[in-house]
Amino acid sequence: MLVSRRKFIKHSLLASSGTLLIPSFLKALEHPATTLAERKVVVIQLSGGNDGLNTVVPYRNDVYYKSRPGIAVSSAQVLKASNELGFNPGLTKLNDLYDRGYLAVLNNVGYPNPDRSHFRSMDIWQSASGSESSLTTGWVGRFLDASCNGCATHRAIELDDTLSLALKGDSMKGMAMKNPEKLYRSVHDTIFNDVVTQNLLNDVEGQSLRYLYKTMAETKSSAELIHQHAIARSSQATYPDTEFSKRLKTIAELIKADLNTRVYYVSLAGFDTHVNQQNQHQRLLETYANGVHAFITDLGSQLMKDVLILTFSEFGRRVTQNGSGGTDHGTANNVFLFSGSLKQKGFINESPDLSSLDEGDLIHRVDFRSVYASILEKWLEVPSQNILKRSFSTLDFI
Amino acid sequence: MILSEKHKHFLQRAAFGPGIADLRNDIDIADLMVGSSGKQSIDIVVRPQSKDVKTDAGQRKELIQAARKQVFALNAAWVHQLVSPDIRAREKLTFFWHDHFACRVRAPFLIQQQNNVLRDHALGDFASLLMSVSKDPAMLQFLNNQQNRKNSPNENFAREVLELFTLGHGYYNESDIRNAARAFTGWSFNVMTGSFDFRERAHDDGMKEFKGKRGTFSGEDIIAIILEDPRTAQFITEKLWDFYVGDPDATIINSLSREFFNSNYNIGQLLDVIFSSEWFYASQYRGNRIKSPVELIAGLMTQTGGTFQNAQSSLYIQRALSQVLFFPPNVGGWPSGTSWIDSSSLAFRLALPALLLRNSETDIDLKDDGDVNNIINEATSKKLDFRVDWELIAHTFSRHNEQETLDALEYYLLARETSKANKRIVQKFAGKGENDTVFFKKAFTAFMSLPEYQLC
Repeated sequence: MLVSRRKFIKHSLLASSGTLLIPSFLKALEHPATTLAERKVVVIQLSGGNDGLNTVVPYRNDVYYKSRPGIAVSSAQVLKASNELGFNPGLTKLNDLYDRGYLAVLNNVGYPNPDRSHFRSMDIWQSASGSESSLTTGWVGRFLDASCNGCATHRAIELDDTLSLALKGDSMKGMAMKNPEKLYRSVHDTIFNDVVTQNLLNDVEGQSLRYLYKTMAETKSSAELIHQHAIARSSQATYPDTEFSKRLKTIAELIKADLNTRVYYVSLAGFDTHVNQQNQHQRLLETYANGVHAFITDLGSQLMKDVLILTFSEFGRRVTQNGSGGTDHGTANNVFLFSGSLKQKGFINESPDLSSLDEGDLIHRVDFRSVYASILEKWLEVPSQNILKRSFSTLDFI
Repeated sequence: MILSEKHKHFLQRAAFGPGIADLRNDIDIADLMVGSSGKQSIDIVVRPQSKDVKTDAGQRKELIQAARKQVFALNAAWVHQLVSPDIRAREKLTFFWHDHFACRVRAPFLIQQQNNVLRDHALGDFASLLMSVSKDPAMLQFLNNQQNRKNSPNENFAREVLELFTLGHGYYNESDIRNAARAFTGWSFNVMTGSFDFRERAHDDGMKEFKGKRGTFSGEDIIAIILEDPRTAQFITEKLWDFYVGDPDATIINSLSREFFNSNYNIGQLLDVIFSSEWFYASQYRGNRIKSPVELIAGLMTQTGGTFQNAQSSLYIQRALSQVLFFPPNVGGWPSGTSWIDSSSLAFRLALPALLLRNSETDIDLKDDGDVNNIINEATSKKLDFRVDWELIAHTFSRHNEQETLDALEYYLLARETSKANKRIVQKFAGKGENDTVFFKKAFTAFMSLPEYQLC
């Protein structure tokens, strides 16, 4: 949608000198936060294949202890939550959120014909494809396509330097940025800034070149808007001193500053625990839980009513430990959902069934795309069928 | 210095843009194609010997480390070779085939072997290329064909051959896949030596029905039937057109496809026709194609004459831009065009020339896909080591009239003219009164930082 010449001129007269001449700049300003309480999703991706059974521990299950004599979480150490399941000792802060009703745990989430390759399975989760097909777009990107045609690129933000498949749609793409300051600097780098401010999109010829100029303009306008919001509300809350927490802190600042972003995406890597996993895994879970806890505390109960956090990993790990004190790639896994508006809390479905495995691997009971469908339909309030390429039944956690 | 528009466009598409050495008397395009399509195999990795290899954990770890280093070396070798003037046309086409026959395995010898197969057949006939790639151990392993046995078929290989390599979706049915898979049973390879191996006992020699024909087809028969369908020629022609030309023109493509089919799939001949046709040089096809990351990197190397001083630097950039040679994301290969571009990737691509030419460090962290065995997660130094001979460049483009020099550089570096505003920006950036090498470094940096530089 091109802004008409008259409207463009009118706006450019209003704009102060030194701002963009390219009409797309106006997009970032044309979409103020639509309602006071626009719901947001924060997706946390645990990369590497988080060992679900040592995260949410079936501490009464003999098969668990028999399969993992060297690495099981002992009944003494586990943080007991229900009479079947408990949490890894690194998850003290998560246990607190569980007690306060912010957490829903969905067990046995996966998809048919699971793929145990990192990049294949992660692509499947990010693109919401089945294991039999390969999509070149991601579910959040397609959400942008469906809900937000022509709006600003920062409607979905990934807290990273490069953009994941998840945020790439057919026509819309989210934006990747690690911190607002860095992004702002990169677009105010001399040549980038000069090129954007001194050229008119209407004068650019050729489809490919126009796409490049348009992307530059959108990047700059989103960067400036984000920058304004970020400096308005820099957080005083205390966060752990980890890269992961820093990224969550940035998200919290942007949410509190009322930026009109709908989906945030952030990753924590290191979960591919093939060797001597116990300490490494516990530390990672601590990093994860402490960050999420600080984030939720920072936002507070009022804002958390409009925020839903989804945590997933591309697969779980095998039930039996391997010969190196670790575990190998598996299949179904648990998924964590945090919000102040959960309709179901705690462990909302059955525990993993260790007595009926598929060649040593857990069998999924819930298709992960049902989780996405629930988030799209019930939380973000958009139809999910086109986005997910198929119809999936929704769940009742929200 | 003479470089005609046609010559320039040819080099942008058939190779990675003009280099300093290309700025000479205009030569015949046909000569250029011949002169730059020579062949040079990559021969870093020695063929493994068929030994009884019993290793302990320590030895296995060493072997894995050694393999990792070799794959880095293969990547660096190919990057280096891509821009070598006498072979660059074949190298770019090999890169095209690498994407078309996308394959991702770990064993260095298999990676190298397949790469040379693609290179050998790149400009030959597609029938031989297809047969050789289908029997290539890396491909068979990647698509699990060793697990495709009589009475226990694995359809992966057959499916991808039909869907991605030859006919394309919609020109065969599921029954064709099942039957083709049966015909390919027994196509395997010797894991020790990395050679093709036909396992007779695993082969299903029963009656099959494929694309309307019946017979006790072998894998070779299936490939022959696929090639008898002109649709295969159409599919390949369309892909080559997309890579070398641009937006489709159905009439021309159909005509090229018929010729391609009738010439027994002669790839070299098809490209000759494309590069010697008037329409190839039409303005609608010039400077309107977004370079893939590898093309961007190769273009930077070609046009500055610069080289990477260590494998980690070019590997880092490939990773940052999401295209690493030998590591396509899946069997469908890499995306193209605007799919390469998002806010952060574009910002990085625009900033890359300045980073490389100033020998700076970058502060961009790369994603770890979580796989401890994925060698491309290797933390590489963020110091980019790229050397350029600025004296040679200053010598080539004399500077007596600054405006003329800048115009010449614009023509040399960009596939299309840029705006007056951008010319002023470059002029301001390049500055005055600097010594020659500094001036040229800045001018090159400025032009290559424009969005127009992303196009070929």
